[in-house]
Amino acid sequence: MAVMPKKRSQQNAFPIDLADHALRRLVRAGVSYGDVRLESSQHESLLVENGRVSSISTSDGTGLGVRVFDRGGWGFAATPHLGLAALARMVRSAVGLARATGSLQRQPRSLCPVKPARGTYTTAYKIDPFGVPLGKKIDYLLWANDSLMGHDAIQHATTHMDSYKRHKLFLSTEGARIDQTIIESGAGLEVVAQQGNEVQMRSAPNSHHGALAQAGFEYMKQLDLVGAAKTAKQEVLHLLRADAPKSAPATVILHPTQVVMQLHESCGHPTELDRALGHELSFAGGSFLTPEHLGVFQYGSRLVNIVADATVPKGVGSFAYDDEGVPAQRVDLVREGRFVGYLSSRETAASLGQSASGGAMRAERWDVPPIIRMTNVNLEPQDATLEDLLRDVKHGYLLSTNKSWSIDDKRLNFQFTTEIGWEIENGRLGRIVKNPLYTGITPEFWGRCTGVGRREDWQLWGVPNCAKGEPMQIMHVGHGAPYARFDGVQVAGAK
Amino acid sequence: MIGQTRLQNALSAIVKRAKVEHVSLCAQASTRQVFRFAHGSIHQDVFQEQLSVKATVIDGKRLGVASTDSLSSANLIACLEAARAIASHAPKMERPFAWAERAAIRFSDDYDAATAKLSPKTAIELLAQQMRRCQGAAAELAGSFVTGEDELAVVNSLGLSNYAAASIAAMKCVTFHRGLSGFSSAAARTLEALDPDAVLARSLEQCLHATAAVRLPLGIYEVILGPEAIAEILEWLGLIAFGAKAFQEHTSFLTGRMDERVMDPQISIYDDAMESGMLRRPFDFEGSPTRRVLLIDRGTANSIVYDATYGARYGQASTGHALPPGDTEGPLPLHLAIAPGNTSVEDMIRSCARGLFIPRLHYVNGLLNPREALMTGLTREGAFLIERGRFSAPIATLRFTHSITDAFSHVLGVSRKRRLVADPHTGLGCALAPYIHLEKLTFTGGSES
Repeated sequence: MAVMPKKRSQQNAFPIDLADHALRRLVRAGVSYGDVRLESSQHESLLVENGRVSSISTSDGTGLGVRVFDRGGWGFAATPHLGLAALARMVRSAVGLARATGSLQRQPRSLCPVKPARGTYTTAYKIDPFGVPLGKKIDYLLWANDSLMGHDAIQHATTHMDSYKRHKLFLSTEGARIDQTIIESGAGLEVVAQQGNEVQMRSAPNSHHGALAQAGFEYMKQLDLVGAAKTAKQEVLHLLRADAPKSAPATVILHPTQVVMQLHESCGHPTELDRALGHELSFAGGSFLTPEHLGVFQYGSRLVNIVADATVPKGVGSFAYDDEGVPAQRVDLVREGRFVGYLSSRETAASLGQSASGGAMRAERWDVPPIIRMTNVNLEPQDATLEDLLRDVKHGYLLSTNKSWSIDDKRLNFQFTTEIGWEIENGRLGRIVKNPLYTGITPEFWGRCTGVGRREDWQLWGVPNCAKGEPMQIMHVGHGAPYARFDGVQVAGAK
Repeated sequence: MIGQTRLQNALSAIVKRAKVEHVSLCAQASTRQVFRFAHGSIHQDVFQEQLSVKATVIDGKRLGVASTDSLSSANLIACLEAARAIASHAPKMERPFAWAERAAIRFSDDYDAATAKLSPKTAIELLAQQMRRCQGAAAELAGSFVTGEDELAVVNSLGLSNYAAASIAAMKCVTFHRGLSGFSSAAARTLEALDPDAVLARSLEQCLHATAAVRLPLGIYEVILGPEAIAEILEWLGLIAFGAKAFQEHTSFLTGRMDERVMDPQISIYDDAMESGMLRRPFDFEGSPTRRVLLIDRGTANSIVYDATYGARYGQASTGHALPPGDTEGPLPLHLAIAPGNTSVEDMIRSCARGLFIPRLHYVNGLLNPREALMTGLTREGAFLIERGRFSAPIATLRFTHSITDAFSHVLGVSRKRRLVADPHTGLGCALAPYIHLEKLTFTGGSES
């Protein structure tokens, strides 16, 4: 006999009984497959500008999403109104949508099997960032911010810190019951300098809030914002007097902070199987890596090994189970230059005749269905030191810290700019160059990879602003990379 | 739909109980029904209810922001307390805030219940019709169809209590025929105004073409940009140049250039959230009435937009362009428009001896060199080579990299007709954009896609 949940006023902020109630309703509705995702999330954002705290904000919320697969169609419904009436409405909506859209399907759909998991997962952390007094965090940001100031050319100095906590309960009609708590911590700084009409910016330790890890406050401390501020300040002042690179093909060594964006745009997105199957055509686009290329297409040189690894410690794309209950995996995407794998889901993997999902279904929040997302898409290290990579370079550039990014809808033609570059002449790093831009075609570019750095220089970063799907979902994904060298790359100054 | 009475009563009750200097509560509620389809099937359908309440507290001249997604009294009080606790850690504000006061704006002229509550059955029948039309034309169809409603309420301790409700309908169509693709999109407050048949027809027109796509040499081309392409450029200009934050940080190309000629005299850019034809919003997320701001006046740098925070910081009145509390981007223009010109797209094409017609752009990025409004982006579906005043062939993907202030300084024409372009998912903003005929745009790369 079903047990009715308590009234809302008697519940805590994470009403597990409501999720169980929703699951029972799905079972009673007799759907082929159904799952319920109850999530609560917390985000704290701190911002210091020009020596003053300019914003402190927190947000939290809880909601529930119901996903149904029945009669060949999908339905998803979600609400933050955690009461019985809203819950019943959501279950009815999801079931109704699935059955109605199933009638339009041209081809039968199926799901790869997965053993229903029952388990828990919590981020490995030492210090809960939400337990650290606000004053301590603010003092840290003010100290780093102060280190950026003190020169007439400095126009704007920003230091920031973000903490996230997500608690997710996943229940499925197949018997899965998974409880996961994920904590992320991140911090960084940006400094803008101006002299006349010249304006330059440096970020540290990475741009676009990329210093983000699945970790506690201990990660923020390791970032050493104060030390990074001093370097960033020197570099931004140097950039005001620097020249831009000449427009010509050159050898390029990418710093790990820029390999991250190269991986994200030119490997991560095109290996998403939903894109390859056309599901993103009305928004993000398709992929040049269509299924007939799997296992046969030469994506890069033999030095290029790229994996999607949802098990890597500290990665913001790590978890124990994805949002359809599939265990975290390490999936080869490119092995010795050959395209060998996709980021996939139970449905898309089945459509290719594969026996199991790659475990890449993730949802930004409770209010959206999971879609295929990157986990941690990483370039595997080789054994070259930076000196090894520099040694044979007659003329080239070392480029660091992404500034802008753009790539076509099939993920072939890309163009990036970075915040800073260093000229390389006869194997040695030389003067700083401003506004460096490089461009290429994905498989040609990776095909010209002539050196990959060693494990000791491998760095793991976050991309916290990956947009995909309708409604748009902003996902935190991870990328790990060492230095990487590419020959014959078209370089120019962004002007 | 939560409804005006329930939403405002819930917020007002908390504001009255708050024992702080000032408090402002901003609630955004929405529902969305989203269908995504490709290759003759619906592969995703979503029914979504959302609610976000943000509390901004000023206590002892210190400011804190917290948010929740519940209207329950207990959760709202907890949110208020969180904001107050945060405020206790903030520094004292240097200048007093100037929130809007004693206003009672009510706006629901743009709400259509039939659109907001469109049944799944009706939506699916409409999509099935669209798919049959495509099959009849031997074309494939992908896209999305969205309906829903938005509510925005702001209540503060200065006596302000504003409420607006609106419905939304939007459709995107990508059509494919023998290796060519077409694209069109539309958004409107009602399904009737959306005209889904016209949206599909525009997309089909671009892909039902007998000629294969040609690859063009890189270089400088005369171009005609469609409203979707212009809207994406406008969005980036808003982000990098027209807000007070970029202006004061000196990264905007307008910093130090007010009253200077920065574009062709045919270009006037303004922001007006209450213009007919926009997805209208009468007040911003601080409750201030949205004001029309002329940003570029016939080519000359004229103004930027402010919210109460930046207004107080730089001695300006709010122009009604605040983002939701807690957002750190500063004020932004979210209803940008380019003033209509005096020509038509047909005349532009006829007058073009050799150039490109580009209805939309893909993955534009304006962060390359914001001081010069240097942007890059790519062509996508529906781009054509124009020769001797006619479309001669579809083109393979090209990448432009060009300063937009330079491109907009060499204008051959601006169309009278403009089209609304909007992302229906965020409910935040839109653009009203014409076709623009430019003398030159530099293409620096290409690909086979």
